[in-house]
Amino acid sequence: MADVKKHDTPMCDELKTGNWPSFVDDLEQRGLAGKQECLDLLGQLELSYKHKETHWKHGGIVGVFGYGGGVIGRYSDVPDKYPSIAHFHTVRLNQTSSKFYSSAYLRKLCEIWDYRGSGMTNFHGSTGDIILLGTKSNQLEPIFYDVTHQLGTDLGGSGSNLRTPAGCIGKSRCEYACIDSEAICYDLTQTFQDELHRPAFPYKFKFKVSGCPNDCVAAIARSDCSIIGTWKDDIRIDQSAVQAYVNGELKPNAGAHSDRDWGKFDIQKEVIDLCPTKCMWMEGKDLKIDNRECTRCMHCINIMPVALRPGVNTGATILLGAKAPILDGAQLSSLAIPFIRMEPPYDEFKDFVGKIWDWWMEEGKNRERFGELMQRQSLQKLIKMAELTPIPQMIKEPRSNPYVFWSAEEVEGGWERDVKAFRSRHAA
Amino acid sequence: MAVDKEELKAKILEFATKKAKFKSKMYIKDLYAAEPNASPREIKNAANDLVKEEKLEFFSSGSTTMYGVPGFGKGIEEAFEDDKSE
Ligand code: SF4
Ligand code: SF4
Repeated sequence: MADVKKHDTPMCDELKTGNWPSFVDDLEQRGLAGKQECLDLLGQLELSYKHKETHWKHGGIVGVFGYGGGVIGRYSDVPDKYPSIAHFHTVRLNQTSSKFYSSAYLRKLCEIWDYRGSGMTNFHGSTGDIILLGTKSNQLEPIFYDVTHQLGTDLGGSGSNLRTPAGCIGKSRCEYACIDSEAICYDLTQTFQDELHRPAFPYKFKFKVSGCPNDCVAAIARSDCSIIGTWKDDIRIDQSAVQAYVNGELKPNAGAHSDRDWGKFDIQKEVIDLCPTKCMWMEGKDLKIDNRECTRCMHCINIMPVALRPGVNTGATILLGAKAPILDGAQLSSLAIPFIRMEPPYDEFKDFVGKIWDWWMEEGKNRERFGELMQRQSLQKLIKMAELTPIPQMIKEPRSNPYVFWSAEEVEGGWERDVKAFRSRHAA
Repeated sequence: MAVDKEELKAKILEFATKKAKFKSKMYIKDLYAAEPNASPREIKNAANDLVKEEKLEFFSSGSTTMYGVPGFGKGIEEAFEDDKSE
Protein backbone atom coordinates (compact mmCIF):
# COMPACT_ATOMS: atom_id res chain seq x y z
CA MET A 1 0.00 0.00 0.00
CA ALA A 2 1.19 3.49 -0.78
CA ASP A 3 2.36 5.72 2.02
CA VAL A 4 -0.91 7.46 2.81
CA LYS A 5 -2.94 8.19 5.92
CA LYS A 6 -6.57 7.20 6.11
CA HIS A 7 -8.77 9.08 8.56
CA ASP A 8 -11.46 7.55 10.67
CA THR A 9 -14.69 8.35 8.78
CA PRO A 10 -17.64 6.35 10.19
CA MET A 11 -20.34 8.65 8.80
CA CYS A 12 -18.89 8.71 5.30
CA ASP A 13 -18.46 4.93 5.46
CA GLU A 14 -22.15 4.52 6.05
CA LEU A 15 -22.76 5.91 2.56
CA LYS A 16 -21.02 2.84 1.15
CA THR A 17 -23.71 0.51 2.44
CA GLY A 18 -26.46 1.58 0.01
CA ASN A 19 -27.40 -0.16 -3.21
CA TRP A 20 -25.62 2.24 -5.52
CA PRO A 21 -21.91 2.77 -6.07
CA SER A 22 -20.73 5.48 -3.72
CA PHE A 23 -18.30 8.34 -4.24
CA VAL A 24 -16.85 7.32 -0.88
CA ASP A 25 -15.70 4.02 -2.38
CA ASP A 26 -14.17 5.82 -5.34
CA LEU A 27 -12.33 8.34 -3.19
CA GLU A 28 -11.07 5.69 -0.83
CA GLN A 29 -9.83 3.42 -3.60
CA ARG A 30 -7.94 6.21 -5.32
CA GLY A 31 -6.65 7.49 -1.98
CA LEU A 32 -5.31 4.15 -0.83
CA ALA A 33 -3.58 3.79 -4.18
CA GLY A 34 -1.49 6.84 -3.35
CA LYS A 35 -3.56 10.06 -3.47
CA GLN A 36 -3.54 11.56 0.01
CA GLU A 37 -5.88 14.34 -1.23
CA CYS A 38 -8.71 11.86 -1.66
CA LEU A 39 -8.34 10.60 1.91
CA ASP A 40 -7.99 14.11 3.33
CA LEU A 41 -11.08 15.14 1.43
CA LEU A 42 -13.05 12.32 3.07
CA GLY A 43 -11.59 13.34 6.44
CA GLN A 44 -12.72 16.93 6.01
CA LEU A 45 -16.14 15.81 4.79
CA GLU A 46 -16.53 13.69 7.92
CA LEU A 47 -15.67 16.75 10.00
CA SER A 48 -18.29 18.78 8.12
CA TYR A 49 -20.90 16.10 8.80
CA LYS A 50 -19.96 16.28 12.45
CA HIS A 51 -19.99 20.08 12.71
CA LYS A 52 -22.87 20.42 10.24
CA GLU A 53 -21.03 23.21 8.45
CA THR A 54 -18.66 23.48 5.54
CA HIS A 55 -14.93 23.66 6.02
CA TRP A 56 -14.25 25.31 2.68
CA LYS A 57 -13.53 29.00 2.58
CA HIS A 58 -15.60 30.96 0.16
CA GLY A 59 -13.79 31.69 -3.14
CA GLY A 60 -10.48 33.38 -3.70
CA ILE A 61 -8.11 35.07 -6.06
CA VAL A 62 -6.88 32.38 -8.37
CA GLY A 63 -6.84 32.05 -12.09
CA VAL A 64 -4.49 31.81 -15.00
CA PHE A 65 -2.94 34.82 -16.60
CA GLY A 66 -5.32 36.78 -18.82
CA TYR A 67 -8.38 34.78 -17.73
CA GLY A 68 -11.07 35.84 -15.30
CA GLY A 69 -12.81 32.51 -15.10
CA GLY A 70 -12.41 28.78 -15.39
CA VAL A 71 -10.62 28.33 -12.08
CA ILE A 72 -12.44 28.45 -8.77
CA GLY A 73 -10.35 28.98 -5.68
CA ARG A 74 -11.07 26.56 -2.86
CA TYR A 75 -9.18 26.66 0.42
CA SER A 76 -9.66 24.42 3.43
CA ASP A 77 -10.19 26.22 6.76
CA VAL A 78 -8.68 23.26 8.62
CA PRO A 79 -5.43 22.89 6.66
CA ASP A 80 -3.48 21.69 9.69
CA LYS A 81 -5.60 18.59 9.92
CA TYR A 82 -5.77 17.98 6.18
CA PRO A 83 -2.66 19.57 4.68
CA SER A 84 -2.89 17.95 1.24
CA ILE A 85 -6.13 19.83 0.54
CA ALA A 86 -5.09 23.21 1.97
CA HIS A 87 -5.51 24.44 -1.62
CA PHE A 88 -8.07 22.45 -3.50
CA HIS A 89 -8.97 24.54 -6.54
CA THR A 90 -11.47 23.50 -9.15
CA VAL A 91 -10.59 23.76 -12.84
CA ARG A 92 -13.38 23.89 -15.41
CA LEU A 93 -12.58 22.79 -18.95
CA ASN A 94 -14.69 23.55 -21.99
CA GLN A 95 -16.18 20.22 -23.03
CA THR A 96 -16.40 19.37 -26.72
CA SER A 97 -19.72 20.03 -28.46
CA SER A 98 -22.10 17.24 -27.37
CA LYS A 99 -19.36 15.69 -25.25
CA PHE A 100 -17.86 13.39 -27.86
CA TYR A 101 -14.41 12.25 -26.74
CA SER A 102 -11.94 9.70 -27.98
CA SER A 103 -10.55 7.31 -25.39
CA ALA A 104 -7.08 8.65 -26.24
CA TYR A 105 -8.24 12.13 -25.25
CA LEU A 106 -9.68 10.93 -21.96
CA ARG A 107 -6.52 8.94 -21.16
CA LYS A 108 -4.32 11.93 -21.81
CA LEU A 109 -6.55 14.19 -19.73
CA CYS A 110 -6.48 11.74 -16.82
CA GLU A 111 -2.71 11.46 -17.07
CA ILE A 112 -2.32 15.23 -16.87
CA TRP A 113 -4.76 15.49 -14.01
CA ASP A 114 -3.30 12.59 -12.05
CA TYR A 115 0.09 14.23 -12.33
CA ARG A 116 -0.93 17.82 -11.55
CA GLY A 117 -4.06 17.44 -9.46
CA SER A 118 -6.02 15.13 -7.22
CA GLY A 119 -7.01 12.76 -10.00
CA MET A 120 -10.65 13.40 -9.15
CA THR A 121 -12.98 14.52 -11.93
CA ASN A 122 -16.64 15.29 -12.38
CA PHE A 123 -17.96 14.44 -15.82
CA HIS A 124 -19.78 16.77 -16.26
CA GLY A 125 -20.77 19.79 -14.20
CA SER A 126 -24.36 20.95 -14.60
CA THR A 127 -23.27 23.67 -17.02
CA GLY A 128 -21.59 21.01 -19.11
CA ASP A 129 -17.89 21.51 -18.41
CA ILE A 130 -15.37 18.83 -17.54
CA ILE A 131 -14.69 19.55 -13.88
CA LEU A 132 -11.30 18.77 -12.42
CA LEU A 133 -11.54 18.75 -8.65
CA GLY A 134 -8.64 19.79 -6.51
CA THR A 135 -5.23 21.19 -7.29
CA LYS A 136 -2.72 23.64 -5.86
CA SER A 137 -2.17 27.25 -6.94
CA ASN A 138 1.29 26.57 -8.40
CA GLN A 139 -0.15 23.87 -10.69
CA LEU A 140 -2.70 26.13 -12.38
CA GLU A 141 -0.48 27.61 -15.08
CA PRO A 142 1.11 24.23 -15.93
CA ILE A 143 -2.33 22.61 -16.16
CA PHE A 144 -3.53 25.39 -18.44
CA TYR A 145 -0.43 24.97 -20.61
CA ASP A 146 -0.85 21.21 -20.81
CA VAL A 147 -4.55 21.11 -21.61
CA THR A 148 -4.29 23.84 -24.23
CA HIS A 149 -1.15 22.48 -25.88
CA GLN A 150 -1.66 18.75 -25.54
CA LEU A 151 -5.42 18.46 -25.77
CA GLY A 152 -6.42 21.64 -27.60
CA THR A 153 -8.88 22.26 -24.77
CA ASP A 154 -9.57 25.64 -23.22
CA LEU A 155 -10.87 26.64 -19.82
CA GLY A 156 -14.63 26.93 -19.38
CA GLY A 157 -16.61 29.78 -17.86
CA SER A 158 -17.21 30.56 -14.21
CA GLY A 159 -18.15 33.56 -12.07
CA SER A 160 -19.96 36.46 -13.71
CA ASN A 161 -18.98 35.27 -17.16
CA LEU A 162 -20.73 33.71 -20.06
CA ARG A 163 -20.70 30.05 -19.06
CA THR A 164 -19.54 27.32 -21.40
CA PRO A 165 -22.30 26.89 -23.99
CA ALA A 166 -23.75 23.38 -24.25
CA GLY A 167 -25.82 21.57 -26.85
CA CYS A 168 -27.49 18.23 -27.57
CA ILE A 169 -25.95 15.65 -29.93
CA GLY A 170 -28.07 17.13 -32.72
CA LYS A 171 -27.35 16.33 -36.33
CA SER A 172 -24.38 14.11 -35.57
CA ARG A 173 -26.64 11.35 -34.27
CA CYS A 174 -30.22 12.44 -34.11
CA GLU A 175 -32.74 12.43 -36.93
CA TYR A 176 -34.99 14.91 -35.09
CA ALA A 177 -32.50 17.78 -35.19
CA CYS A 178 -34.00 20.84 -36.88
CA ILE A 179 -30.87 22.93 -36.36
CA ASP A 180 -27.19 22.05 -36.14
CA SER A 181 -26.98 22.36 -32.36
CA GLU A 182 -23.29 21.42 -32.27
CA ALA A 183 -22.26 23.96 -34.88
CA ILE A 184 -24.25 26.66 -33.06
CA CYS A 185 -22.74 25.74 -29.71
CA TYR A 186 -19.24 25.85 -31.19
CA ASP A 187 -19.85 29.12 -33.00
CA LEU A 188 -21.21 30.85 -29.88
CA THR A 189 -18.24 29.56 -27.89
CA GLN A 190 -15.82 31.05 -30.42
CA THR A 191 -17.72 34.29 -30.98
CA PHE A 192 -18.05 35.11 -27.32
CA GLN A 193 -14.56 34.15 -26.15
CA ASP A 194 -14.11 37.44 -24.33
CA GLU A 195 -17.36 37.10 -22.39
CA LEU A 196 -16.53 33.46 -21.66
CA HIS A 197 -13.10 34.10 -20.20
CA ARG A 198 -13.51 37.50 -18.59
CA PRO A 199 -16.36 38.63 -16.37
CA ALA A 200 -18.72 40.97 -18.17
CA PHE A 201 -22.09 40.66 -16.51
CA PRO A 202 -23.93 41.18 -13.23
CA TYR A 203 -24.00 37.38 -12.85
CA LYS A 204 -23.64 34.17 -14.85
CA PHE A 205 -25.22 33.72 -18.29
CA LYS A 206 -25.85 30.39 -20.01
CA PHE A 207 -26.67 29.40 -23.59
CA LYS A 208 -28.01 25.95 -24.28
CA VAL A 209 -28.93 24.56 -27.68
CA SER A 210 -31.35 21.71 -28.35
CA GLY A 211 -31.91 20.48 -31.87
CA CYS A 212 -35.65 19.93 -31.42
CA PRO A 213 -38.40 20.50 -28.86
CA ASN A 214 -37.53 17.25 -27.07
CA ASP A 215 -34.90 19.54 -25.54
CA CYS A 216 -32.40 16.91 -24.44
CA VAL A 217 -30.07 19.49 -22.82
CA ALA A 218 -33.03 20.89 -20.84
CA ALA A 219 -32.30 24.32 -22.28
CA ILE A 220 -35.70 25.58 -21.22
CA ALA A 221 -34.96 24.87 -17.57
CA ARG A 222 -31.25 25.53 -17.32
CA SER A 223 -30.24 28.41 -19.55
CA ASP A 224 -30.67 32.16 -19.57
CA CYS A 225 -30.98 31.87 -23.34
CA SER A 226 -32.51 28.66 -24.68
CA ILE A 227 -32.17 27.93 -28.40
CA ILE A 228 -34.55 25.15 -29.40
CA GLY A 229 -34.90 23.79 -32.91
CA THR A 230 -38.34 23.82 -34.52
CA TRP A 231 -40.07 23.90 -37.91
CA LYS A 232 -42.53 26.19 -39.65
CA ASP A 233 -44.10 23.93 -42.24
CA ASP A 234 -46.02 20.66 -41.89
CA ILE A 235 -45.05 17.46 -40.10
CA ARG A 236 -43.99 15.01 -42.80
CA ILE A 237 -46.28 11.99 -42.84
CA ASP A 238 -45.64 8.58 -44.38
CA GLN A 239 -49.14 7.07 -44.38
CA SER A 240 -47.93 3.54 -45.12
CA ALA A 241 -45.69 3.68 -42.05
CA VAL A 242 -48.64 4.95 -40.00
CA GLN A 243 -50.46 1.78 -41.05
CA ALA A 244 -47.41 -0.32 -40.18
CA TYR A 245 -47.61 1.04 -36.62
CA VAL A 246 -51.37 0.44 -36.49
CA ASN A 247 -50.89 -3.14 -37.71
CA GLY A 248 -48.12 -3.83 -35.23
CA GLU A 249 -45.34 -4.20 -37.84
CA LEU A 250 -43.42 -1.27 -36.38
CA LYS A 251 -42.83 -0.87 -32.67
CA PRO A 252 -44.05 2.39 -31.13
CA ASN A 253 -41.37 4.60 -29.50
CA ALA A 254 -38.82 2.71 -31.60
CA GLY A 255 -39.10 -0.16 -29.14
CA ALA A 256 -38.38 1.82 -25.99
CA HIS A 257 -40.49 0.78 -22.98
CA SER A 258 -40.74 -2.72 -24.50
CA ASP A 259 -39.78 -4.37 -21.23
CA ARG A 260 -43.48 -4.62 -20.41
CA ASP A 261 -46.46 -5.77 -22.42
CA TRP A 262 -48.54 -2.66 -22.99
CA GLY A 263 -51.02 -4.48 -25.20
CA LYS A 264 -51.74 -3.74 -28.84
CA PHE A 265 -50.73 -0.29 -30.10
CA ASP A 266 -53.77 1.99 -30.15
CA ILE A 267 -53.16 5.07 -32.29
CA GLN A 268 -56.28 6.81 -31.02
CA LYS A 269 -55.45 6.35 -27.36
CA GLU A 270 -51.67 6.70 -27.50
CA VAL A 271 -51.22 9.38 -30.12
CA ILE A 272 -54.34 11.25 -31.18
CA ASP A 273 -55.95 11.62 -27.76
CA LEU A 274 -52.67 12.74 -26.20
CA CYS A 275 -51.97 15.50 -28.70
CA PRO A 276 -52.09 18.58 -26.45
CA THR A 277 -53.87 20.75 -29.00
CA LYS A 278 -56.15 17.97 -30.31
CA CYS A 279 -55.12 18.73 -33.86
CA MET A 280 -54.90 15.13 -35.13
CA TRP A 281 -57.55 12.75 -36.41
CA MET A 282 -57.98 9.70 -38.66
CA GLU A 283 -59.80 9.91 -41.98
CA GLY A 284 -60.27 6.32 -43.02
CA LYS A 285 -56.75 4.94 -42.99
CA ASP A 286 -55.08 8.34 -43.24
CA LEU A 287 -53.70 10.27 -40.28
CA LYS A 288 -54.48 13.97 -40.59
CA ILE A 289 -52.83 16.88 -38.77
CA ASP A 290 -54.04 20.45 -38.64
CA ASN A 291 -50.51 21.87 -38.60
CA ARG A 292 -51.69 25.39 -37.82
CA GLU A 293 -52.73 24.16 -34.39
CA CYS A 294 -49.71 21.94 -33.74
CA THR A 295 -47.48 23.28 -30.93
CA ARG A 296 -44.50 21.15 -31.98
CA CYS A 297 -44.60 19.16 -28.76
CA MET A 298 -42.95 16.14 -30.50
CA HIS A 299 -45.26 13.61 -28.85
CA CYS A 300 -46.63 12.02 -32.03
CA ILE A 301 -43.20 12.06 -33.69
CA ASN A 302 -41.55 10.38 -30.71
CA ILE A 303 -44.13 7.58 -30.77
CA MET A 304 -44.08 6.98 -34.54
CA PRO A 305 -40.66 8.17 -35.72
CA VAL A 306 -40.79 6.23 -38.98
CA ALA A 307 -44.19 7.62 -39.93
CA LEU A 308 -43.83 11.21 -38.74
CA ARG A 309 -40.95 13.62 -39.09
CA PRO A 310 -40.48 17.32 -38.32
CA GLY A 311 -40.96 19.64 -41.29
CA VAL A 312 -38.14 20.85 -43.52
CA ASN A 313 -38.54 24.62 -43.08
CA THR A 314 -36.47 24.73 -39.92
CA GLY A 315 -35.07 27.26 -37.48
CA ALA A 316 -35.16 27.87 -33.75
CA THR A 317 -37.37 29.22 -31.01
CA ILE A 318 -35.55 31.50 -28.58
CA LEU A 319 -36.58 31.61 -24.95
CA LEU A 320 -35.07 33.65 -22.16
CA GLY A 321 -34.63 33.65 -18.43
CA ALA A 322 -34.49 30.15 -16.92
CA LYS A 323 -32.72 29.82 -13.60
CA ALA A 324 -32.39 27.67 -10.49
CA PRO A 325 -34.23 28.63 -7.31
CA ILE A 326 -31.97 31.12 -5.55
CA LEU A 327 -34.36 34.09 -5.64
CA ASP A 328 -38.12 33.68 -6.16
CA GLY A 329 -37.98 29.97 -6.98
CA ALA A 330 -36.98 28.11 -10.12
CA GLN A 331 -38.12 29.55 -13.41
CA LEU A 332 -38.42 28.16 -16.93
CA SER A 333 -37.48 30.42 -19.80
CA SER A 334 -40.15 32.54 -21.48
CA LEU A 335 -40.74 32.84 -25.19
CA ALA A 336 -38.90 35.71 -26.88
CA ILE A 337 -38.67 34.78 -30.57
CA PRO A 338 -41.04 32.10 -31.90
CA PHE A 339 -39.00 31.45 -35.02
CA ILE A 340 -35.57 32.59 -36.17
CA ARG A 341 -33.33 31.13 -38.88
CA MET A 342 -30.20 29.60 -37.44
CA GLU A 343 -27.76 29.49 -40.34
CA PRO A 344 -24.11 30.55 -40.01
CA PRO A 345 -22.95 33.17 -39.20
CA TYR A 346 -26.10 33.56 -37.04
CA ASP A 347 -25.95 37.36 -37.30
CA GLU A 348 -29.61 37.98 -36.55
CA PHE A 349 -29.37 35.92 -33.38
CA LYS A 350 -26.11 37.55 -32.28
CA ASP A 351 -27.61 41.02 -32.80
CA PHE A 352 -30.44 40.03 -30.55
CA VAL A 353 -28.01 38.74 -27.90
CA GLY A 354 -26.12 42.04 -28.03
CA LYS A 355 -29.32 43.94 -27.28
CA ILE A 356 -30.37 41.86 -24.31
CA TRP A 357 -26.86 41.90 -22.88
CA ASP A 358 -26.73 45.70 -23.17
CA TRP A 359 -29.97 45.95 -21.24
CA TRP A 360 -28.80 43.54 -18.53
CA MET A 361 -25.35 45.16 -18.17
CA GLU A 362 -27.01 48.55 -17.82
CA GLU A 363 -29.95 47.67 -15.60
CA GLY A 364 -29.17 44.34 -13.92
CA LYS A 365 -28.43 44.48 -10.20
CA ASN A 366 -25.39 42.77 -8.75
CA ARG A 367 -25.99 39.03 -8.87
CA GLU A 368 -29.28 39.36 -10.69
CA ARG A 369 -29.87 36.69 -13.32
CA PHE A 370 -31.28 37.76 -16.65
CA GLY A 371 -34.60 36.07 -15.86
CA GLU A 372 -34.86 38.04 -12.64
CA LEU A 373 -34.35 41.28 -14.52
CA MET A 374 -37.14 40.22 -16.90
CA GLN A 375 -39.39 39.59 -13.92
CA ARG A 376 -38.47 42.80 -12.18
CA GLN A 377 -38.76 45.12 -15.18
CA SER A 378 -41.46 43.17 -17.05
CA LEU A 379 -41.69 41.22 -20.29
CA GLN A 380 -42.97 44.39 -21.89
CA LYS A 381 -39.63 46.04 -21.18
CA LEU A 382 -37.88 42.98 -22.61
CA ILE A 383 -39.60 43.25 -25.98
CA LYS A 384 -38.82 46.94 -26.07
CA MET A 385 -35.14 46.52 -25.22
CA ALA A 386 -34.71 43.56 -27.57
CA GLU A 387 -36.65 45.41 -30.28
CA LEU A 388 -39.00 42.49 -30.75
CA THR A 389 -42.34 42.83 -32.49
CA PRO A 390 -45.19 41.76 -30.22
CA ILE A 391 -47.20 38.88 -31.62
CA PRO A 392 -50.53 37.32 -30.62
CA GLN A 393 -48.77 34.24 -29.18
CA MET A 394 -47.33 36.43 -26.45
CA ILE A 395 -50.81 36.73 -24.97
CA LYS A 396 -51.06 34.03 -22.39
CA GLU A 397 -54.85 34.01 -22.30
CA PRO A 398 -57.56 36.62 -22.83
CA ARG A 399 -57.25 39.48 -20.34
CA SER A 400 -53.94 38.24 -18.98
CA ASN A 401 -51.18 39.65 -21.04
CA PRO A 402 -47.70 39.73 -19.61
CA TYR A 403 -45.89 41.11 -22.67
CA VAL A 404 -47.84 43.99 -24.20
CA PHE A 405 -49.01 47.24 -22.68
CA TRP A 406 -49.55 50.31 -24.81
CA SER A 407 -47.85 53.55 -23.98
CA ALA A 408 -49.37 56.90 -24.96
CA GLU A 409 -46.82 57.46 -27.76
CA GLU A 410 -47.74 54.18 -29.41
CA VAL A 411 -51.43 54.98 -29.80
CA GLU A 412 -52.70 57.45 -32.37
CA GLY A 413 -53.81 60.56 -30.51
CA GLY A 414 -52.24 59.25 -27.30
CA TRP A 415 -53.92 60.08 -24.02
CA GLU A 416 -53.36 62.15 -20.97
CA ARG A 417 -53.72 61.00 -17.46
CA ASP A 418 -54.16 63.25 -14.49
CA VAL A 419 -52.91 61.20 -11.58
CA LYS A 420 -54.12 63.77 -9.05
CA ALA A 421 -57.64 63.72 -10.39
CA PHE A 422 -57.52 59.91 -10.48
CA ARG A 423 -56.40 59.79 -6.85
CA SER A 424 -59.23 62.14 -5.81
CA ARG A 425 -61.61 59.40 -6.96
CA HIS A 426 -59.56 56.33 -5.92
CA ALA A 427 -57.64 55.69 -2.71
CA ALA A 428 -54.00 54.69 -3.25
CA MET B 1 -20.50 57.81 -25.96
CA ALA B 2 -17.04 56.50 -26.72
CA VAL B 3 -14.44 57.32 -24.11
CA ASP B 4 -10.65 57.16 -24.44
CA LYS B 5 -9.58 53.80 -23.05
CA GLU B 6 -6.42 54.91 -21.27
CA GLU B 7 -8.24 57.81 -19.63
CA LEU B 8 -11.01 55.48 -18.62
CA LYS B 9 -8.54 53.01 -17.12
CA ALA B 10 -6.94 55.78 -15.08
CA LYS B 11 -10.35 56.87 -13.81
CA ILE B 12 -11.39 53.34 -12.89
CA LEU B 13 -8.14 52.70 -11.08
CA GLU B 14 -8.40 55.94 -9.13
CA PHE B 15 -12.01 55.23 -8.25
CA ALA B 16 -11.30 51.62 -7.23
CA THR B 17 -8.31 52.56 -5.11
CA LYS B 18 -10.30 55.20 -3.25
CA LYS B 19 -13.16 52.83 -2.74
CA ALA B 20 -10.92 49.92 -1.74
CA LYS B 21 -10.17 51.64 1.55
CA PHE B 22 -13.81 51.12 2.56
CA LYS B 23 -14.83 48.13 0.52
CA SER B 24 -12.11 45.94 -0.86
CA LYS B 25 -14.22 43.92 -3.30
CA MET B 26 -16.27 45.61 -5.99
CA TYR B 27 -18.79 44.40 -8.52
CA ILE B 28 -18.37 45.52 -12.10
CA LYS B 29 -21.54 47.52 -11.53
CA ASP B 30 -19.84 49.51 -8.75
CA LEU B 31 -17.14 50.49 -11.24
CA TYR B 32 -19.69 52.01 -13.63
CA ALA B 33 -19.71 55.04 -11.30
CA ALA B 34 -16.06 55.77 -12.18
CA GLU B 35 -17.15 57.28 -15.50
CA PRO B 36 -20.89 57.74 -16.07
CA ASN B 37 -20.31 58.57 -19.75
CA ALA B 38 -18.77 55.19 -20.53
CA SER B 39 -20.96 52.26 -21.55
CA PRO B 40 -20.98 49.15 -19.35
CA ARG B 41 -19.06 47.30 -22.06
CA GLU B 42 -16.32 49.97 -22.16
CA ILE B 43 -15.99 49.81 -18.38
CA LYS B 44 -15.83 46.03 -18.47
CA ASN B 45 -13.12 46.02 -21.17
CA ALA B 46 -11.06 48.67 -19.38
CA ALA B 47 -11.36 46.92 -16.01
CA ASN B 48 -10.31 43.60 -17.57
CA ASP B 49 -7.33 45.34 -19.14
CA LEU B 50 -6.34 46.61 -15.71
CA VAL B 51 -6.43 43.05 -14.42
CA LYS B 52 -4.10 41.99 -17.23
CA GLU B 53 -1.74 44.76 -16.14
CA GLU B 54 -2.06 43.46 -12.57
CA LYS B 55 -3.38 46.79 -11.31
CA LEU B 56 -6.70 45.23 -10.40
CA GLU B 57 -7.39 41.62 -9.52
CA PHE B 58 -10.28 39.23 -9.87
CA PHE B 59 -11.88 37.64 -6.91
CA SER B 60 -14.30 34.79 -7.55
CA SER B 61 -16.62 32.71 -5.42
CA GLY B 62 -17.19 30.37 -8.33
CA SER B 63 -20.61 31.86 -9.03
CA THR B 64 -19.85 35.60 -8.97
CA THR B 65 -16.77 37.60 -9.85
CA MET B 66 -15.67 40.77 -8.09
CA TYR B 67 -12.78 43.16 -8.59
CA GLY B 68 -10.21 44.11 -5.98
CA VAL B 69 -7.13 46.30 -5.76
CA PRO B 70 -4.01 44.24 -4.99
CA GLY B 71 -2.87 44.90 -1.47
CA PHE B 72 -6.27 45.92 -0.16
CA GLY B 73 -8.41 43.27 1.26
CA LYS B 74 -10.10 41.69 4.10
CA GLY B 75 -11.13 38.11 4.64
CA ILE B 76 -12.86 36.44 1.78
CA GLU B 77 -15.99 35.52 3.77
CA GLU B 78 -16.30 39.08 4.99
CA ALA B 79 -16.35 40.48 1.47
CA PHE B 80 -19.22 38.19 0.55
CA GLU B 81 -21.02 38.70 3.87
CA ASP B 82 -21.01 42.44 3.21
CA ASP B 83 -22.73 42.29 -0.08
CA LYS B 84 -25.56 40.12 1.25
CA SER B 85 -26.70 43.05 3.34
CA GLU B 86 -26.88 45.44 0.40
S1 SF4 C 1 -32.96 17.67 -28.45
FE1 SF4 C 1 -33.97 16.75 -30.25
S2 SF4 C 1 -32.36 16.86 -31.81
FE2 SF4 C 1 -31.30 17.09 -29.87
S3 SF4 C 1 -30.69 15.01 -29.29
FE3 SF4 C 1 -32.67 15.43 -28.33
S4 SF4 C 1 -34.20 14.57 -29.71
FE4 SF4 C 1 -32.28 14.81 -30.86
S1 SF4 D 1 -46.26 17.48 -32.40
FE1 SF4 D 1 -47.58 17.47 -30.60
S2 SF4 D 1 -49.03 19.17 -30.99
FE2 SF4 D 1 -48.06 18.65 -32.94
S3 SF4 D 1 -49.45 17.17 -33.89
FE3 SF4 D 1 -47.90 15.98 -32.79
S4 SF4 D 1 -48.81 15.60 -30.78
FE4 SF4 D 1 -49.98 17.26 -31.72
